[in-house]
Amino acid sequence: MSVLEDLKFYFFHFMPYVYLPPDYEDHEKYPSMWVDFSNRFYDPRKGNELYRRYIGEMVMAEKLGYDGVVVNEHHNTPYSMMASCTLVAAAIVPQTERVKICAWGVPINLEFPNRLAEEYAILDVMSGGRLEVAVPLGTGMEYWANPVNPVTARERMREAIEVMIQAWTADGPTTYTGKYFNYRYLNPWPRPLQKPHPKVYMVGVGSPETIDMAAEMGFGYSIVFIPVKAQLQVFAEFREKAAKHGHHLTSDDTPIGVFAYVAESDEQAEREYKEHIAFFFDHLIRTTPRFLAPPGYISTEQFKLRAASGHDKLHGHFDWDESVKQMRIVAGTPERVANQIGHWAEEAQASKIICHLHMGNMPRWKTVKNLTLFAEEVIPRLRRTRPALAERMAVAANGQALQAGVK
Amino acid sequence: MAGGARSANAKGVFKHESLTVNGIKTALLTAGQGEPLVFFHGGGVFHGFDFALPWTERFKVYIPFHPGFGDSGDDPEIVDMHDYVLHYLELFDLLKLERGLRLVGFSIGGWMAAEFAMEHRRRLHKLVLVAPAGLRVKEHPGTDLFRIPPEQVPAYLVHDLKVIERHLPKEPDADFLAARYREMTTIARIAWERPYSHRLARWLHRINVPTLLVWGEQDRMLPYQQAASWAKLIPAATVQTFRNAGHLVLDEKPEAVKAVGEFLA
Repeated sequence: MSVLEDLKFYFFHFMPYVYLPPDYEDHEKYPSMWVDFSNRFYDPRKGNELYRRYIGEMVMAEKLGYDGVVVNEHHNTPYSMMASCTLVAAAIVPQTERVKICAWGVPINLEFPNRLAEEYAILDVMSGGRLEVAVPLGTGMEYWANPVNPVTARERMREAIEVMIQAWTADGPTTYTGKYFNYRYLNPWPRPLQKPHPKVYMVGVGSPETIDMAAEMGFGYSIVFIPVKAQLQVFAEFREKAAKHGHHLTSDDTPIGVFAYVAESDEQAEREYKEHIAFFFDHLIRTTPRFLAPPGYISTEQFKLRAASGHDKLHGHFDWDESVKQMRIVAGTPERVANQIGHWAEEAQASKIICHLHMGNMPRWKTVKNLTLFAEEVIPRLRRTRPALAERMAVAANGQALQAGVK
Repeated sequence: MAGGARSANAKGVFKHESLTVNGIKTALLTAGQGEPLVFFHGGGVFHGFDFALPWTERFKVYIPFHPGFGDSGDDPEIVDMHDYVLHYLELFDLLKLERGLRLVGFSIGGWMAAEFAMEHRRRLHKLVLVAPAGLRVKEHPGTDLFRIPPEQVPAYLVHDLKVIERHLPKEPDADFLAARYREMTTIARIAWERPYSHRLARWLHRINVPTLLVWGEQDRMLPYQQAASWAKLIPAATVQTFRNAGHLVLDEKPEAVKAVGEFLA
């Protein structure tokens, strides 16, 4: 079955705080927008205005027909106003009826795993079984902001996930004895509505350790912020490893993220879009190699590779032409955006499309325009063109060039 | 190789050995004749051990690389300073260093030496703590190593940058950076949560051997005023501070090295 027969579109909102100081473009003065970028620049009145707007956009996504909305969590940064993504998810739950609510998610090391199991269960029960979660290790920056040792983060995360799954699936009280956690009475109320538990993904930047963990535990896996070519390799590796552990993956298990903007013409789309995606990559995501890799967060070997290759370039140096070649970024007419996303979905064998439709400091009218045009003009095109694309898939499977007909 | 053993042996004096301690490869430099002097290095080994050469004229000098530094292997099971104490008990057993030890520890190695001395004072003849880390002195707080951006570290280590310039790469160097990252990872295992231990203030009084505290007066990592707090807690302690010297006081001031040698004689 072609992935295009079952495409799902999830609206992902980063909810940035966009009122930066006037000299925010000064990279030397503010080498990082994370960890030590002073919170004196945060104005709670403006924060209030932004929460109301952003949450409204999430709710609008349901009305426009999206399949899900995605929230996530970061700390010490204007990049995201969701320092607790379960809180934001809880605000969306009662305002929606149908969409999946994806908490993508709380870095599990920043909470007690039993408590996270409880919070997620609350969301799942309150939403009538609409929760999906992702378990990130958390960026390196989170470990500068929270009192958790980055050296033992991966080992600790593994135990924490075991605790969470056990808390969800086994009739309590149970016990858990680990190196980091010892539970005498693991017996959280409530338990999730979905059985055996809400869909779980791991998200990462392609670290072998994370891929192994997702493959072994039978979770989905999604990769962020690395070039498409590398993502496809990681997916191939992940599928192979998951199969070895006896897990049969579906196209839903490998979501892809796309940065898209739709307008009346390609030129207009680029004109309206570029400054906002640049604001995101040049500023909101800007940080230092030191904050990206606290001690022990990655192995010394990985660190050396990064130091030698300039892996961290993405964080604060955006180049449109270069980026559209390497990442899933598309701005254009509905036709163009739909074709491009159809191609990406087939190429990655991914049916879950995480749509970044608000970017950086986009004003409300552009977000609403983009959200609406994408829902009304792009999604139906992808669904309508399904048979033709599926046919081309079959050709590709017979050894023809996959991209040939999609351009 | 990024610093450490290479620089240490610039003059070809030290003999390189490698032992296995509880499954962990432990690199060891030795030189000289006489009573045993063991040096516990600090959180970075890039500046080598040339400063220690004068001691080899009087003592048999042992410089082991802690697990996670230099040519020693990594030990991910080390979770606190006490694990290092046990590691060194095993190493000293292997080396048959039972009694009469002159133990010198610098910075993180000073903290290590202090914990060793609190627990195993009978093995020691004398103790020297050079700008030791580990004691929380509220009035004169130290700089949290993890807060210093890598490019600023040299200026925190010495009063006169020329002293360590030859050990620093001229261009960005992935090997050098990776070696430092490994050292920081090793230190984070025991000190990420807090780079000090409440155990010291509670138990330092057990150190009953003559103890010398050595400090550079321009130390930006750990202010030399902390010496008074150590001296108050260790019964037989004396303090010597050196002007125009930073944290790496032994590299900067030959007279500090000399003072240590004379104290230990």
